[in-house]
Amino acid sequence: MGLAAAYWIMAVVAVLAALGVVFLRNVFRAALSLVLCFITVAGLYITLSADFLAAVQILVYVGAISVLIILAVMMTREVQQGSPANRLKIPAFIVAAVVLGIMIYTVTATSWQVASAAPLAPTTVPLAGKLFSESGFILPVEIAAMLILAAILGAIVIAREK
Amino acid sequence: MNLALLIPEITLAVFAVLVILLDLGVRQKTVLRSVALAGLVIAGGVTAAMWGGSYPAQFSNMLAVDHFALFFKLLFAGIAFLVILASADYVDKFARFQGEYYALILLSTLGMMLMAATADLISLYIALELTSISLYVLVGFLKDRKSTEASLKYLLLGAIASAVLLYGMALIFGYTGQTQLGAIARAIQSMPPSAVMDSPALLMGIVMLIAGFGFKIAAVPFQMWVPDVYEGAPTPVTAYLSVGSKAAGFAIILRVFFSAFGMPDWLSANWGAIFAVLAVISMIVGNVAAIPQANIKRLLGYSSIAQAGYLMVGLATFGFAPASSVLGQSGILFFLASYALTNLGAFIAVIAISNKIGSDEIADFAGMFKRAPVLALALTFCLVSLIGMPPAAGFMAKFYIFSAAAQNGLLWLVVIAAINSVISAYYYLRVVKVMWSGEAASGEKVPSSGAPRLALFICCLGVLLLGVIPGLVMRLAEVAGRLFAF
Amino acid sequence: MSVGLEHYLVLSAVLFCIGLYGALTKRNAVIILMCIELMLNAVNISLVAFSRYVVPTLLTGQVFAIFVMVVAAAEVAVGLAIILAIYRGLTDIDASNINLMKW
Repeated sequence: MGLAAAYWIMAVVAVLAALGVVFLRNVFRAALSLVLCFITVAGLYITLSADFLAAVQILVYVGAISVLIILAVMMTREVQQGSPANRLKIPAFIVAAVVLGIMIYTVTATSWQVASAAPLAPTTVPLAGKLFSESGFILPVEIAAMLILAAILGAIVIAREK
Repeated sequence: MNLALLIPEITLAVFAVLVILLDLGVRQKTVLRSVALAGLVIAGGVTAAMWGGSYPAQFSNMLAVDHFALFFKLLFAGIAFLVILASADYVDKFARFQGEYYALILLSTLGMMLMAATADLISLYIALELTSISLYVLVGFLKDRKSTEASLKYLLLGAIASAVLLYGMALIFGYTGQTQLGAIARAIQSMPPSAVMDSPALLMGIVMLIAGFGFKIAAVPFQMWVPDVYEGAPTPVTAYLSVGSKAAGFAIILRVFFSAFGMPDWLSANWGAIFAVLAVISMIVGNVAAIPQANIKRLLGYSSIAQAGYLMVGLATFGFAPASSVLGQSGILFFLASYALTNLGAFIAVIAISNKIGSDEIADFAGMFKRAPVLALALTFCLVSLIGMPPAAGFMAKFYIFSAAAQNGLLWLVVIAAINSVISAYYYLRVVKVMWSGEAASGEKVPSSGAPRLALFICCLGVLLLGVIPGLVMRLAEVAGRLFAF
Repeated sequence: MSVGLEHYLVLSAVLFCIGLYGALTKRNAVIILMCIELMLNAVNISLVAFSRYVVPTLLTGQVFAIFVMVVAAAEVAVGLAIILAIYRGLTDIDASNINLMKW
């Protein structure tokens, strides 16, 4: 019962916060709304017994990414310019609504093979085993290192004076 | 785990880091180019030496070391090699960021190699993003108005496309409980067909994968980034995007759709039909939109959309007749190799010309035959190959793909493709006509330096050889393609 | 009413489409980046929910979600670097007027 109540509260707040990101006119408030959405997603992870991911969500999204975005908002003139929409409002709304309809139909009409086993808890140790063992996901971890190198190089090249 | 099988990838990673470190101490920046080229030669050489052997998949089946992967690794190493050679003069525009330029080219090549080899949705996603992020930055390397705007546009649209792709992957993972491609195939085949057909999640996942990959290969309607990005990016990067990124996209589509969704037949017929439709609209939109273009980079951009359409004819063939179309698969590989050489050749000639005359406008190419006869001749030859006329490689490439399609009941698609080839001749030949008969703006010669000339020579020789004696590469492509003939 | 897999998936679809709508309509590059983050978070909810309900003991979906976060962080870093470059040095272009859907 507690889990269901937590889900509904988080879900409603998450959707409202997401709508805030899109429809708030002040860019700074939109960014704060995004932070709220990130926090509720962390809460949803807890209801899904993904404790480590919830912590990472707070650290990476609520911490690092939000700070980056807010910094960018402050350093550019975005705040004064507000958050105008382009001419594609109506077609984009139709596209999004159609995609939403199809997606909801897809996820509700599919018979998912739900397993009845209890989820692992806590997940930190098994996750580490998955990520760093040879039989697990060590390959993507290695590629991710290269990806971050490329991103750092790229950010430096782009942001520095010529 | 056998690290010896990963030498091509490890070499590229090491040389990328090496280039960055050398950049700190070395004054003579041409050293960096030599180091980057050496890395590619080693990676390509080791890959070639591995040809013919049979190796187990690595990392618990996440990374395949099969001939399909080797073929593409060789292709990507070759493409990056030619692109770096072709940027010899151009890199002066990057001022002090030359080291980063070579490093990012190597890193994106590494990403493409991993894309061709990976057999797991998670590592596939990361490899794809490694390629994409390197390319986003490379597009913005000129740091001027157009280039930065192109980079931002490419990044934002690319990120949206990869979010859609990711949603598709999530649905497929949720439906099968697997991320490894072979395990996904087994999970689908173990389910009763009626249950699979009643569950829209799998089909929806496939559609979203096609949308995400369609962005990479620039298929209509996911092509809206192409003209602006191609025009704004540094021309060598445009060349790299138009062949490398596209080939990597097709490699990933071939691997994912053949090994995960190749069976049962009705499933592959479904995605075959989607690719057939995309092929038709890509060919038509690409060719029709190319006709009025005045900028050669935009023209080649639209032409690359049309070329993706021809390639998707091959994908459609495979979807409709997975078991019998070895020719279809190896035809796609052959087409990619020939398209890579042809398009690179065209771009290298354009780089050499426009770098000197300071313009990408087709009108400024007037009379180029008198000012730079070799470059004009090479560009003409490559454009002829893009039309698909003998004796150039483009003819054999189209011949293989279209005959495979015709043999498997897709004659209507071949007819549309043939009509489109005729339309394309109009705008390709317009460029040729301007170069050969137009009045030159000045009698001044257009000189070109050694490295791009060498690259251009390799491309034209390759295009000619593939067109005259296609057998050798076709045999390689057949070995590489046979992997999937189950 | 007990909460199950479908609830999370529907929520994920709703968030994804809100993000998609925002990404397609906004003229402000920072907001578009924020909407893309929204879309990636929506996918992550799906991945973690699948991990919890379909393969509760394997954690594959959670591993996938971690990689999505890595990529999202890298993408934001590069994206914001581009936006900052536009605002700092090159005042003649206006990032808020980039129309993504122009052909």
